[in-house]
Amino acid sequence: MKKLILAAAALIVLGTTAQAQETVRIATEGAYAPWNFLDDSGKPAGYEIDLANAICAQAALTCEIITNDWDSIIPNLLAGNYDVIMAGMSITDERRQTINFTQEYFPADPSRYVALAGTEIDFDNLSGVRIGAQSGTIQATYAQDNLAADNTVIVFNTADQAVADLAASNLDVIFADGAYVDPIVAASNGTIEYIGPEIMIGDGMAAGLRKDEAALEATLNDAITALKADGTMDKLIAQWFDGRGPYYAQ
Amino acid sequence: MSDNLAFWLSYLTNGKHLTWYASFQFTIFAALAGGMLAVIFGLAGATLKNSRFFALRLIGSTYSSIVRGVPDVLFFLFFPLAFEQAVEWFMASQVCTPETLAAQSATWPPCKEANWFLGTPEYLILASVSLGLVYGAFATNVIHGAMRSVPQGQLEAARAYGMSATQVLWRVHIRQMWVYALPGLSNVWMLIVKATSLLSLLQIADIVLWADRLGAPNYLSAVGLVHDDWRWRYYLVLFVFYILVTFASEKAFGALMNRAGRGILSEARS
Amino acid sequence: MTWFIEELALFAPAIVFNIYFAVASIPLGFVAAVFLALGKDSANPLISRLSRGFIYAFRGSPLFIQFFMIYSLTLSFNISLWKPLGLSWFVLHPLFIGPLVLTLNTAAYTAEIFYGALRAVPRGEVEAARAYGMSRRQQFRQVVWPNLIRLAWPAYTNEVVFLFHATAIVYFALPVIGLQKDVMITAKELFERDYNAFLHFSVAALYFLAVSLVIFFLFGLVYKRLMRHMPAAPRMRFMPKWIR
Repeated sequence: MKKLILAAAALIVLGTTAQAQETVRIATEGAYAPWNFLDDSGKPAGYEIDLANAICAQAALTCEIITNDWDSIIPNLLAGNYDVIMAGMSITDERRQTINFTQEYFPADPSRYVALAGTEIDFDNLSGVRIGAQSGTIQATYAQDNLAADNTVIVFNTADQAVADLAASNLDVIFADGAYVDPIVAASNGTIEYIGPEIMIGDGMAAGLRKDEAALEATLNDAITALKADGTMDKLIAQWFDGRGPYYAQ
Repeated sequence: MSDNLAFWLSYLTNGKHLTWYASFQFTIFAALAGGMLAVIFGLAGATLKNSRFFALRLIGSTYSSIVRGVPDVLFFLFFPLAFEQAVEWFMASQVCTPETLAAQSATWPPCKEANWFLGTPEYLILASVSLGLVYGAFATNVIHGAMRSVPQGQLEAARAYGMSATQVLWRVHIRQMWVYALPGLSNVWMLIVKATSLLSLLQIADIVLWADRLGAPNYLSAVGLVHDDWRWRYYLVLFVFYILVTFASEKAFGALMNRAGRGILSEARS
Repeated sequence: MTWFIEELALFAPAIVFNIYFAVASIPLGFVAAVFLALGKDSANPLISRLSRGFIYAFRGSPLFIQFFMIYSLTLSFNISLWKPLGLSWFVLHPLFIGPLVLTLNTAAYTAEIFYGALRAVPRGEVEAARAYGMSRRQQFRQVVWPNLIRLAWPAYTNEVVFLFHATAIVYFALPVIGLQKDVMITAKELFERDYNAFLHFSVAALYFLAVSLVIFFLFGLVYKRLMRHMPAAPRMRFMPKWIR
């Protein structure tokens, strides 16, 4: 009986690994518009999904997009549940220790504070402020390292939850990627506005891979170079990020 | 008014909502599979606890008291991870060669070939197994108690008929046991149903995850309807859903107990 | 061995949060449960229906969903209610809303236990008390309550252990402020760093098991005291029951 179970387990594993070599699994969060989100049909959509499809077409790969919570997106990559992360992830030295990145597909962009209209905060001596961020993001790390001593740093599982708490005035500010809050500020009819300085963290956004996937990394890098050169990437950026780019035009 | 109605109707039947409705299947599957496995593990545990051999009795009671001594969510997170690692470890001992072991730079798995991809179906099965294991520990106690409640006379009668020990166990003891076990098993079932709300912790896009995604405030028309934070409304739907499931389960178990209790003294029905 | 002690030390500040959640919700839940149980038994149909409904709703739905729902519901009243009252920082704090939801939850489960015990109080003793001319208040204080609590105590012990276990999901549903992390979040973060599921989750389990045993011990002492009039005081064993 035990042998049978082990054999069955072996079959499952072999079956799935055999499959995996044909398709490249790309994980995204699905809650970080406009990079990635779940559209009205319930499917992943957004800049990174379009870009992933373009990259896969360019490199002649079969790709499958799956969603995974942001919190566990790197551990599950390392555990081998998928091969690539494309989830608005910024390149940082800390992440470089565990995973590799392709070249950037979204340029380094300052992080911004946003607050409800009329909030007054002295950013020169920031203290006693309730700062919200998504857990595990570069902004959360920055806030916990630099601001936590005098302020309250509150982290949420998704960025949308942080926005909900800001809109309900439970936070003074949220600290997030500029291009994430841009459309929120634009669509909020003036109720949410930028505040304070722009802070540059991270080295741009890129696809993350396990360190031993050199071949796949090279393939993706070539495809990204090609998409940058032929203007596809700039076109997609212009399509999903109002008034951004072109960044990679020759 | 009718415009309004049409709008809400189309909003509530857009693809995102349909996916949400469809995701109820994961919850229902996990509950049913988990429930069945719990009974199987419960039977196994109770048999171990009843065993003549001290070592087996020890395994049975250790299983049921350790699992019940820790939070279900802890075991629920731990078991799939541990199972995955165990399978990968086993695979590694079969397929890894010194070259592939040397080529592996990540800490886990030992070599690339031993990696096991987990998608939603695999996670769902693992989730059901861990529900079965956790609540099997509770069912062990229920069934153990119920087996001791079966009147000795019935077992003696079976033996007097010349039945072997296995026959007594399967034809009389376990069949008669259900009447006494049902009230306790109904309790265990309710616990399993409520534990299915944790599926999203295992990366399964279940009803709770969709309620969060659908209810989250949205500012971008590209994403869908622009609205404020509507999460509590969606969670309220789930709250009511679970209460209805509890209600239906109570009715079903009531009917089952009435049926199982036919011809048995009323002391067994409580 | 030192690595094991280091690992234990990592969890020590975290278990404080789980203990806090349990300690903050159990006494309130206990008091609320007494009223709910009496309410369910009440002759007044309105009070009885309301208590029944509350108990049924909170026993019939998962705590995980109760957390999400009550947090987002409370949040939606922030601008209109909590902010003007100056309570916002307090009401929406996980250290307040966590125990709040746990209290509501445990009140419902405990009320069901107490209600069962209330129905099991010997009729004759109550009638005897009435015959002595005791007021209803006296009847409850002198006759019903002592019987009830003795009957309910083993099941209540069980419920308290369950509640303590339930504190494990608080931070899966609520935002995390600063370094306020409970055992589960700590274990999950440590696991995500080095992949040692067996070590981190076992240590977390060990903490839960240890506190559960302490709860059984303390509640066992109380039970002994409650039963001190009995010739042989029954002992309580570490045995979480299936009933909840």
